[in-house]
Amino acid sequence: MKKQSLLLRVLVLAYVAALLGIPLLFVFQQAFSHGWSELWAALHDHAMDLAILLTAKVVVVAVPLNILFGIGASLWIVRRPSRLSHVLDVLIDVPLAISPIVVGLVLELAYAQNGWFGPTLAKLGWRVMFSLPGIVIASIFVSLPLVSRQVIPLLREIGDHQEQTAATLGASPIRIFFTITLRSIAWAAAYGVTLTLARVIGEYGAVLIVSGNIALLTQTLTLNIGANFENFNSYQGFVGALLLAFVSVAVLLVIAVARHRLERKRHDSFA
Amino acid sequence: MLESLPTWSSLPVNLLANHSVATAEGPSLRWRSPRAVRTVEKSSAAAAKGLVLFYISLIVLIPLAALLTNAFNHGVGSFWNAATSTESLDALRLTVTCSLLAAAFNALAGTATAFVLVRDRFWGKSALNAIIDLPFALPTVVAGVTFYTLYGPHSPFHVNITGSWIGITVAIMFVTLPFSVRAVQPVLESLSGDAEAAASTLGASSFYVFRTITLPAILPALLTGTGLAFARALGEYGSVVFISNNLPYRSEVGSSYIYSLVSSGQVSSAASVALILLTGALLVLVASNVIARRLARRRG
Repeated sequence: MKKQSLLLRVLVLAYVAALLGIPLLFVFQQAFSHGWSELWAALHDHAMDLAILLTAKVVVVAVPLNILFGIGASLWIVRRPSRLSHVLDVLIDVPLAISPIVVGLVLELAYAQNGWFGPTLAKLGWRVMFSLPGIVIASIFVSLPLVSRQVIPLLREIGDHQEQTAATLGASPIRIFFTITLRSIAWAAAYGVTLTLARVIGEYGAVLIVSGNIALLTQTLTLNIGANFENFNSYQGFVGALLLAFVSVAVLLVIAVARHRLERKRHDSFA
Repeated sequence: MLESLPTWSSLPVNLLANHSVATAEGPSLRWRSPRAVRTVEKSSAAAAKGLVLFYISLIVLIPLAALLTNAFNHGVGSFWNAATSTESLDALRLTVTCSLLAAAFNALAGTATAFVLVRDRFWGKSALNAIIDLPFALPTVVAGVTFYTLYGPHSPFHVNITGSWIGITVAIMFVTLPFSVRAVQPVLESLSGDAEAAASTLGASSFYVFRTITLPAILPALLTGTGLAFARALGEYGSVVFISNNLPYRSEVGSSYIYSLVSSGQVSSAASVALILLTGALLVLVASNVIARRLARRRG
């Protein structure tokens, strides 16, 4: 028995190290392979800095919108169920089954110049494709369910006894939301928000189509990395990848803490 | 006389001050008719619901409807021709094969990983637990270029798996590992282990215990997780595109065939193939959920 479990542990560790650990370490190794001064110069690459700025802009718009949507939709689905909310419950997970490339394609079909809304948008002078709004919409699409998938199960689990008690004592819905509901779903929401953030920063396929991948103009950091790699400038690509690797390690830490807190909360509520 | 009149500068301030005193008394003390309160709540809830629907329509529903109409733009015949062209069929076949292989292997490896995470105890286990989520946190393009450099033509290990189904499967294995682990892990945690201990005291081999007690308990969750992984794998692009080399008929996956159609302006054909890929992924998700639910019900 002892021998078997030791063998299983070694096999699992080897698999996870080969598939996840080595690639992550390799990014660091490649980025630092040319020394500090070259790394410093590569960090000041003009195209990459513009790409970082664009990614930051997308995050600032897309993540808050998806937080609002995710929490609002979760509350509707769990606390005010209706036939319409059941439809929403199914629809909200659909983006998980759609290829990023298909996301880019459908947005092009709807919002490009010869798409459904193209002529109307052109008349209004708004540009969605090949510009910031299109990239934001694509990022929202791919990360749409990530907050609600974490919040919905927890909302169901905690029930609404506290909320009802507060309501009978005369608290307004807004006060109930901020003092009770939001406080009890905070860690689930933080988990979902972190996943959303990671997905928005890391999206590649959908943004590739929607943005047109124009260097210095509509290139996000992930697109910039891909372009550098294709142009045989893989060192510069790995410097961009290094930044994203740092982000993902931070994301992993937040996720680990959030999951730990959620488990403890679940444990407490059953004890 | 003049002093008793309020000046323009003092007036609004005073009014505001009075107003804020009134609200500081608290809205809960001021009587409002229950019906009035309910109408306000109802209308603001309706507005919020409307916004939610508007948001999901604008971003998801309407674009998906545009996909449906564009796929059949030139009739059912041309949809069928685009979807079943040799290049499309080859790409779809390769996608399904590699996704199935990766999902099946990760069902095994993921269960083993979940087992180690729940039942084993060793130094560094929480680090292992944390790094399982790396594929959710690390952008797919970073994984793609890293795998290409590690296992490509200039590999430090002298292994070249680019342009083959092996490379594609490895990339998909990276992306889908957390799905099966995170599906099985909570179920294993909720198993007390009493039944398993009883069985092994009665002389059952550990494999027999696993097959008759543990596996039936985790099977529904494992199936859901594997279904999710398979659906995700069908559409994977960023991590696969570099290592696959995108050779038509040989190492081109479905999503990268759709991309090549889009970039050459064949939007209707792209929509046709995309519709097939999308329908396949949705069917996988629905089927794995239905089967998992049925299995769980049979267990009671």
